[in-house]
Amino acid sequence: MNDSPVTVPAERRLSVRGTPIHMRSAGNGPALLYLHGAGAGGRWLTFQERLAERFTVHAPTHPGHAGSPAAEWIEHISDLAFHYLDLLDEQGLERVHLVGASFGGWIAAEMATMASHRLASLVLIDPVGIKVDGWIYPFLFAMDLPQIVSTVFHNPMAALALAPRDLSSVDGLVEIHRERAALARVAWNPYLYDPLLRRRLGRIAAPTLLCWGEHDRLAPLACAEAWAQEIPGATLRTFADSGHAPHIEEPDAVAAAVVEFCRAREGAR
Amino acid sequence: MKFYYFHLMPYPMEHDEPSSWVTLSNRHYDPEVGHTLYNQYLDQFEHAERLGWDGVCVNEHHQNCYGTMPSPNIMAAMLARRTTRARIAVLGNGLPLRENPLRIAEEIAMLDVVSGGRIISGFVRGIGPEYYSVGVNPTHSRDRFYEAAELILRAWTEDGPFPFDGRFYRYHWVNPWPRPLQRPHPPVWCPSQGSTETVEWAAKRRFPYLMVFTPISRIAQIYAEYREACERFGYTASPYQLTVNLPIVVAENDAKARKIAQENALWVYHTGLRIPIPFWQPPGYLSEGSFRRAMTSRPKLPTELTFEDLEEGGYIIVGSPATVRDRLRVFSDELKAGIVCSGMPAGTHEATLDMMEMFAREVMPHFREDAHVDETAGVGR
Repeated sequence: MNDSPVTVPAERRLSVRGTPIHMRSAGNGPALLYLHGAGAGGRWLTFQERLAERFTVHAPTHPGHAGSPAAEWIEHISDLAFHYLDLLDEQGLERVHLVGASFGGWIAAEMATMASHRLASLVLIDPVGIKVDGWIYPFLFAMDLPQIVSTVFHNPMAALALAPRDLSSVDGLVEIHRERAALARVAWNPYLYDPLLRRRLGRIAAPTLLCWGEHDRLAPLACAEAWAQEIPGATLRTFADSGHAPHIEEPDAVAAAVVEFCRAREGAR
Repeated sequence: MKFYYFHLMPYPMEHDEPSSWVTLSNRHYDPEVGHTLYNQYLDQFEHAERLGWDGVCVNEHHQNCYGTMPSPNIMAAMLARRTTRARIAVLGNGLPLRENPLRIAEEIAMLDVVSGGRIISGFVRGIGPEYYSVGVNPTHSRDRFYEAAELILRAWTEDGPFPFDGRFYRYHWVNPWPRPLQRPHPPVWCPSQGSTETVEWAAKRRFPYLMVFTPISRIAQIYAEYREACERFGYTASPYQLTVNLPIVVAENDAKARKIAQENALWVYHTGLRIPIPFWQPPGYLSEGSFRRAMTSRPKLPTELTFEDLEEGGYIIVGSPATVRDRLRVFSDELKAGIVCSGMPAGTHEATLDMMEMFAREVMPHFREDAHVDETAGVGR
């Protein structure tokens, strides 16, 4: 992992159509919306820092995650997709590069099926969200923390990037409770997918890059092939030293791939 | 005080798996053994009625060796025909676990009509691991519980047909045949572990509150909250609204009772309730407030309890008839609980029958000042 210093931008509190969330923004250049995966909210890591060298990165926190209050109205993954389309409208972001990792990739894919015209490009990093024949996503809700780490990460030490959360205090446990509930509201059953999404992926008109960790045990490469097959013209890049979170395990390489892909799409406009 | 005989109908076995629920393979279940166990357990219930118990209690749990009654209504149906006097308490049906809760309204009504109005209908949410076994979204658990309860109560009390258009349950015609025999409906009990929301909900409706496998200090605290809530809703709780559920082991003397309890009563806690933390805590099953309260008090997990914890904490009652009477007085006189639901973990079937007889002969008669009071009058509806 890259250990150069990361300057964490201040967290802003905003209200998106009445739903309060936190968001960090930094960088220069075209707008890029980054949607985090479950358990990774609120953090600004090397990956975001690298993207911010070329783009103005907006990194909101999903409702109920990492200190953003729970939103009782959210019942379905499409509610989150509309929530972020609302955020684009309210922030005056007409067109963005949209990058989503894991659960955030699922939300990003739903958004792309609804509003491709708002996207300069779409990057999905080991997304979940579709049913892939012969594969059942391992049920993280039944796992303790060490089991989750060994399922999600190729190199378990990489999980330390997400570690600074207080596991000993009641507040820390309540935050995890809130986050698990926020995820379960939309992902418990069917688990980590929307049965309607896969057929709709064919609607995506934005240039799409799929980034995948070769050792992903949550959504293995067979899932990547299914996504590549469904999204017209999608490009697949794999990362040899990563599990489910290549942007955390190989942040420089993944960021370089994202920057290259998105800049090429800027030039093509 | 009223006495109800309670049974989990366990499949007693030892194993080294991390969980006795959800994932413990059913290859361990030998139906030949199960045949013997089920029939012994049902015999014990029938024995309880003959010995003077006021009621018998069955309950719903799924995919475990702790309690093998996935359908409590089936057990209640057998008891309805094999008993004539005792109340039959289903503690309870897991309302949110059902896709069609109207089925509960139908089944309880059937049981009530067949039994001549002896049914008590417990409404429960099911414990954490149940949500892993059944697949229902635990973040919907509480709202499904409230909605199903409203549907069932209306189905029992309003003339049908009427439409019901809820968030989870929708019907053009709610019109179950039969209707229950008891009017306006069978008493409803709420077995629970003390979440603030359930205490309020039950107190508001005069539904008796049942604490299951809880230390006596916490029972006292939750009872106080329940009583206070009843006062706020404009009435004083009857003793028959406060029920405790705990195992009792009685023998000729304290030493013998303790030996029997050490051999048999620990299994429920150390094996039957061996449940990994994620299964105890499905996401969103507890409200944030209840979760915070649980994490602040941090009660021991069942598997962490020693025999001394169980005895001193008041999770169980163990001793000679005199000792058991003294311990029960704490519940009847200090906590003012009107009903005790207890099983008797004695070991073998024969030992259980003997222990029940000793309890009925040497303990129960000392608590019968209320022998002619109907514990269901004015409560539970």
